[in-house]
Amino acid sequence: MRVEYINPFVESAFNVLKEVLGTELTRGELYLKSTSQSILGVTTIVGLTGDVEGRVLFDMAPETALAIASAMNGEELKTFDDLAKATISELANMITAQAVTKLHDLGFDFDITPPALFTGDNMEVSDTEVEALIVPVEMPLGKIEINVAVRERH
Amino acid sequence: MDAVVETDEIQEEPAEAQLKIDFKMVTFSLAGKDYGIDIMSVKEISKVTKFTFTPNTFPYVRGVYNLRGEIIPIIDMRKMFHLPVEEKPEGAEEDVIILRLADEMIIGIIVDSIDKVLGVSSETIQPPHPIFGDINIKYIDGVVENEGRLYIILDVDRIFSEDGTIPAQVSREAEVEEAAPAEAPAARKSEPPPKSKEAAKELKFKFVIDTLKTFISFHVTELNSKWTEERFKEWEKRRRSENKDVQLQGPEDAAEFLKSFYSPYTGSLWGDDYKDNLMKLLPEEIKETIHVWNPGCGRGFESYSITAILKMKYPRGRIKTWANDIDLLNISTAPNLIFTKDEIPDYFWDTDFIVKGPKGYRFADVIKDSIVFEYHDILNRNEYPEADVIVARGILSFFDPSVQHRLISEFREKLKENGLLIIGKNEILTAEGWYLLEEGNVTAYRKEK
Repeated sequence: MRVEYINPFVESAFNVLKEVLGTELTRGELYLKSTSQSILGVTTIVGLTGDVEGRVLFDMAPETALAIASAMNGEELKTFDDLAKATISELANMITAQAVTKLHDLGFDFDITPPALFTGDNMEVSDTEVEALIVPVEMPLGKIEINVAVRERH
Repeated sequence: MDAVVETDEIQEEPAEAQLKIDFKMVTFSLAGKDYGIDIMSVKEISKVTKFTFTPNTFPYVRGVYNLRGEIIPIIDMRKMFHLPVEEKPEGAEEDVIILRLADEMIIGIIVDSIDKVLGVSSETIQPPHPIFGDINIKYIDGVVENEGRLYIILDVDRIFSEDGTIPAQVSREAEVEEAAPAEAPAARKSEPPPKSKEAAKELKFKFVIDTLKTFISFHVTELNSKWTEERFKEWEKRRRSENKDVQLQGPEDAAEFLKSFYSPYTGSLWGDDYKDNLMKLLPEEIKETIHVWNPGCGRGFESYSITAILKMKYPRGRIKTWANDIDLLNISTAPNLIFTKDEIPDYFWDTDFIVKGPKGYRFADVIKDSIVFEYHDILNRNEYPEADVIVARGILSFFDPSVQHRLISEFREKLKENGLLIIGKNEILTAEGWYLLEEGNVTAYRKEK
């Protein structure tokens, strides 16, 4: 993954999460992965096209997702309903969009696809073709793992 | 029976691939069992023949030994733990581990044979079980399984420095000495006969190889064994003359040992001589596009150097360099690397590759735009196209042998017919089908047709 792409994603994740949740965040150590990995339970995927191809995954446990959705809506949500799902998708959309805007300013042409949200137990994601950058974000509400896998178009 | 069940349970514990290796120990055998001691407590290992007997001490104190002017007590672990002791001929060599205890006391312990340095994850270390050995549970840190062998980790600080004195009794039952375990003498007999001086040297060399792996992840294989052997001879001589340990005590010593391993101009731009030699190795015919792959590019000096040199050689060619590294901090600074005037070799001043910025000199866009710096782990798949030049100086040696093989064959696959593979000055490709080209201080290979 091009080094120029890394910061925009990390920065926008922090900006957006801080702004919408108003909580403290700590960043875990960034690392690379290319094997399949289990996902925590609620995962939003946003596709990337343009100069590059790839996708960004936002992965979190169901409790974390519910807590974030509650905090963002200013009311306590009891179940992971349509409103909660829409909220989490929107969060993913906001973070990715801000990253893509930053990348535009640096001269890279990216576009994003509408987010899609998956929920379920025992899910796994595998990208054997592309190496993924993992950005772990720790918050009082729980942990979000942002998983960015992009490759250049040659 | 209980013992068997317990042992099996521990061995069946699945070793998780993702665990971090954060505990290193020196392993040895004693009466047919495997033991480990935290590497931080081990000062060095040695072959010792002559002990000076000291009267009026505990029976397990074999005597004292002169370790480069320092007199240290030598303790026989078999005697200490009341294991049967086989009488050895006068002057026979013993494997001795020299420990530096927490209170800075230095002692040597005689074991049956020293095995190797083993790295494990501290998470896999389990608490000791009373039936694990012939040794009081209080002196055991834990047990750990590795490749089907069970290692008992000894807490040497507890054994030897309780109240600053060596404890009088270590055995849990005095009668153990008489009722010796049946398998112990057999294990003792199967060991190799006393080794010669050559073997002691060999063992020392082996220990250096092991510690290089442990401290700095440098793997000695046919790729670099020639250099390592020569370096060891020189190292031994120098350390002796400086009255220092031959063994590597920590990462600093390992780094010192490897100082002469790195290729010319590692961590700086390639100098004039290196450029001239490389120019001679590059094919004369002009190509339209030239692809370069520079794995393990660090802060990017190599990537800039090779790209600029190719641009000089083929002014009309389109150069594209893929440079990658696993160190996020280094690779992040690479695209905006700033140089001082002194860091730039002379040959650059005749070109328009260098521009002056507010903070210092940097490469002009004509070079910068040709290089893509990527955060990438070479162990993962990549999408890089076939390359005309692969620059991988001194990086292969830092991977374990199976990965070295895999990478060499990947280089082979990725390299074009007439392409050039530049590896470290002290590395030798022994795999078949490579053709060595040497020009001064540049070592490169081409694929045999």
